Amino acid sequence: MSRVAAIGIDAGSTTCKLVAVDQDGTIISSLLEPTEPRVELQVQRMLDAIRAEHGANSSVRTIATGYGRKLIKDATRNLTEITCHARGVFRDLGCAGTLIDIGGQDSKVIQIGGDGRPVDFMMNDKCAAGTGRFLEYTAARLGVPVPELGARALSTAQEEPISSTCTVFAESEIISLIARGAEPDSILRGLHRSLVGRVVSMVRNVGIVAPLMLSGGVAKNEAVREMIAEATVEDVILPGEPQLMGAYGAALLGI
Amino acid sequence: MTRSEALPHYVESSRLEHFVNYEVLGKTTLRVQRWRDQWKLARRRPRPNSPLNPPLRSVAHMKEIMSRHYLEGRYAAGVRKVAWVTSGAPTEPLQALGYFLVYPENHAALCGVRRKAQGIAEEAEHAGWSRDICSYARTDIGAMISGKTPAGRLPRPDVLVCCTNICQTVLHWYRVLADYFECPLVLIDTPFLYQEAHDHEVAYVKRQIEDMICVAEEIAGKSLDETRFRDVMTNARRGAELWLEVLNRSQHRPAPMTAFDGFIHMGPIVDMRGEAVTVAYYERLIAELDERIERGIGAIKEERYRVLWDNLPIWFKIGDFSKWLAERGVNVVASTYTFAWGELAPMIDPSQPLDSMARVYLHPILNRSTGHKLASMRRMVDEFQLDGVILHSDRSCKPYSLGQIDQRDRLVKTLGIPALLLEADHNDPRDYSDEQGSNRLEAFIEMMEPRG
Amino acid sequence: MSEAATLSLPSRLEVVDHVRSLGRALVAVMPIHYPRAMLRAHQLHPMEIWGPPHVERHEGSRHFQAYTCDIVVKAMSFIRSGGLDATKAILVPHTCDALQGMGSVLGDFLQPDQRVLTLYLPRGRRSSDHEFLRRELGRLARTLVEVSGHEPCRDDWDEAFEAEDAADAALADLYRRRARLAISDRDFYTVVRSREYLTAEQFCDQAAALPEGEAPQRGVGLMISGIVAEPALFDQIEAMGAYVAGDDLACGFRRVYSASAEADPLERAANRLLTSPADPTCGTPIQVRVDTLQTRMRALGARGLLIYDPKFCEPELFDVPLLRKHLNAAGFPVLHVEFEMGDRLPYQTLSRIEAFVETLS
Repeated sequence: MSRVAAIGIDAGSTTCKLVAVDQDGTIISSLLEPTEPRVELQVQRMLDAIRAEHGANSSVRTIATGYGRKLIKDATRNLTEITCHARGVFRDLGCAGTLIDIGGQDSKVIQIGGDGRPVDFMMNDKCAAGTGRFLEYTAARLGVPVPELGARALSTAQEEPISSTCTVFAESEIISLIARGAEPDSILRGLHRSLVGRVVSMVRNVGIVAPLMLSGGVAKNEAVREMIAEATVEDVILPGEPQLMGAYGAALLGI
Repeated sequence: MTRSEALPHYVESSRLEHFVNYEVLGKTTLRVQRWRDQWKLARRRPRPNSPLNPPLRSVAHMKEIMSRHYLEGRYAAGVRKVAWVTSGAPTEPLQALGYFLVYPENHAALCGVRRKAQGIAEEAEHAGWSRDICSYARTDIGAMISGKTPAGRLPRPDVLVCCTNICQTVLHWYRVLADYFECPLVLIDTPFLYQEAHDHEVAYVKRQIEDMICVAEEIAGKSLDETRFRDVMTNARRGAELWLEVLNRSQHRPAPMTAFDGFIHMGPIVDMRGEAVTVAYYERLIAELDERIERGIGAIKEERYRVLWDNLPIWFKIGDFSKWLAERGVNVVASTYTFAWGELAPMIDPSQPLDSMARVYLHPILNRSTGHKLASMRRMVDEFQLDGVILHSDRSCKPYSLGQIDQRDRLVKTLGIPALLLEADHNDPRDYSDEQGSNRLEAFIEMMEPRG
Repeated sequence: MSEAATLSLPSRLEVVDHVRSLGRALVAVMPIHYPRAMLRAHQLHPMEIWGPPHVERHEGSRHFQAYTCDIVVKAMSFIRSGGLDATKAILVPHTCDALQGMGSVLGDFLQPDQRVLTLYLPRGRRSSDHEFLRRELGRLARTLVEVSGHEPCRDDWDEAFEAEDAADAALADLYRRRARLAISDRDFYTVVRSREYLTAEQFCDQAAALPEGEAPQRGVGLMISGIVAEPALFDQIEAMGAYVAGDDLACGFRRVYSASAEADPLERAANRLLTSPADPTCGTPIQVRVDTLQTRMRALGARGLLIYDPKFCEPELFDVPLLRKHLNAAGFPVLHVEFEMGDRLPYQTLSRIEAFVETLS
């Protein structure tokens, strides 16, 4: 019989993740791909691959999360990223605390209780420029590859403050900075600061319960990490695979 | 061209038109429609696929009452004196003087429910009104300048009565109306109550109501009949008391009515408070709710979680939300918004009409502090045994929304229940994202799970 | 700029030390209208907060949604960061729904160390409004006694009104003398806005010290309307080949009050507030605003109206289409731009103003 006890699927707006766990909740296998336009077909293909690899049949419980979760017809159940990220990180890091997840569509701050369930959460305003998408968009505008964003922002001590809260105004602000000949790295540094400022104000609203934890794609960005630590004067810890935490939590909730 | 000529869709009717089209044909047609609706509702069996139980039968009567009101509006200009009033305006003297009352906010909400608001609001936006101003105002200004309305036609006002007890927005909005209609604007300025009301605030409002009566008498060409006025006040009090009872029926488990039903059934108390028809309607509704309670029939089939709604409804989403939440076992059983038209009933005193009106119209929840609203919500959580709170952060309504971040925080931290700040708008679908909204609502429901 | 040398304004910190040496305590005041002489009679000194532009919104956004104006959110950030620690009280006049929310949240939730004071300003100019405002000011005066511990005597009131009326008159006089003052718009508005923190005497000295001569204004005359404009805007307007012929700003001309000779201090304070110029936050009818603007624009030689509003300012936004319609009919082009308060003006906003100036020249 297969070791696979449950499979978690995180069909996010930028990347699509699958995690298979055994009965103890240990990760046996995982997959991560950029999200394709037909996410349901993509997930089916990834599911087939993971099932074939471990000889799991289609009766294994699968839990879907992420923006595309409703499209996954094969899923036993679907749950929001809030519940799944909380569970995944709780298991990985083994403690309650405050989780920051900066995703493509949403930034969220989740207070995780002693049982691994969310106690409270807060998400960015619809109109605020506080998401990963905004970083990506600006990266493209400045011609900087996304993986280099954090390092570039940290490479300079100069910082161009970006004060606008609305994406349209912020975009105009960046255009005028470029027009004035500001250094792209200083603009990036200011942009990171502005994003972190917004996230930290959500963290304060939910209330900081140490430690601060970071998951999601933006967790890999060292500037975000450093600036959050600086603004909150708290240590920021990361799970082993920050991008997989949603799918991992989903899988754990399927056992 | 004068400004009034720029509004050709505001026409006057003759007494004959009013009599034939409204009194005879209109009323008869609406009565027949009501019979037909009643007959259909009485035969309606629970639908296995719907998470909701069959709708309240009284809805047929409400439809008749509201349609009759709007129908009369089409033929009122030229026949009755017309006042356009804000939802919190002291209308009882106007009713006693025989005015036909138009509630632009209610009209805008009607556009919202019928999903016509965006198109109409865009008429105002094209004329230069910013998308950052209240979507009710945009909808009504759009209707005013274009003549577009699902209500057929609204009567031109002889007077505008604007009471600031709901927001300052109405003041600026009614100044625009006054500029177009070139008619008198009566302002009832109600000082915001950061704490309890002071004597000089009550005296100020009372004096303005007296001044309003003078202006209204002059326009109507007659004096206020004390007996008629007292009758209106008595009906207003009775109507508000009954409305409060209607809402409190949802303290029962399962609740016989949802707040979404409440948003619809509040029509008569908003548009026709002070009228006997409103009293009769809520008596009928209470009887039906009691019958449901006795038979243990809830508004939704499976009531797992009981939730409070704060702020205005998202009019264009009422039906969708009601079903979507019911599918997940969530019954929104109470709202701070619907309570606003009932909770002040005990303050209404027909034997001291002006003094009591001054106090009543100073005390709507929207004219009271953010701390008072939190206290109201906590009381409702307790009285209705609620599992969570949805705070609709309404982009268009700043007085209702500012303070919600702290209110939410206190609810979560002191009551230990989940509370969600839901970003949307009461009338503008462009300010609500289904994807983000439903994701947040689902996470909120997941958090109620261990409690349910 | 050569004329910059003529301005030597005391810094806010210097003013703080100065008023303390006079035995007065500080009160932070939010925009727009409030009874200055009443504060002074109670040995209090107002320091106005117009959203400190250099402050970030983050801390304030822990209380207010993204659709709340900068003036409120940034002031909240400023309070949270200890920016007002030197003050004894915060006065929040009821100017609009956003400031209403701020006053309420401050008192009910944030509960800072300072006493939170509110003042309801009536939106009409009727005798009922007058009577109410007099009694509302009486209520405020009683709270001020609690804040300062000082119960003003007749002489205190007289002294306070004399000083503040003189400063009001000096402000009105500055506007009358504008065309004869040899200073740039930036300097002119720096002095006008110094009333936000200087004492009445300091302000009168500043106003009196401005050099007369040929005003440097050249190019296209603009009337500017709105709540507040930061100094950088005036430099930019100058660089575009335009100048500010007059203003309808809440931080400027809308606070040119007329003095009242009433003996009763509350009556006198109420009179002053109820005779302020046209202002949408005071409920001025649109037609009155249009008439006043037209008359002033003709007299001052302004060719167009620039409406310059902070984002989400409802009292301002409602009137814009009708101001445009009626002023266009009178031959005055109108440009409406919105901005977020910050250290810099966005490129987009400036380009629009520049294009507007080009069409007027």
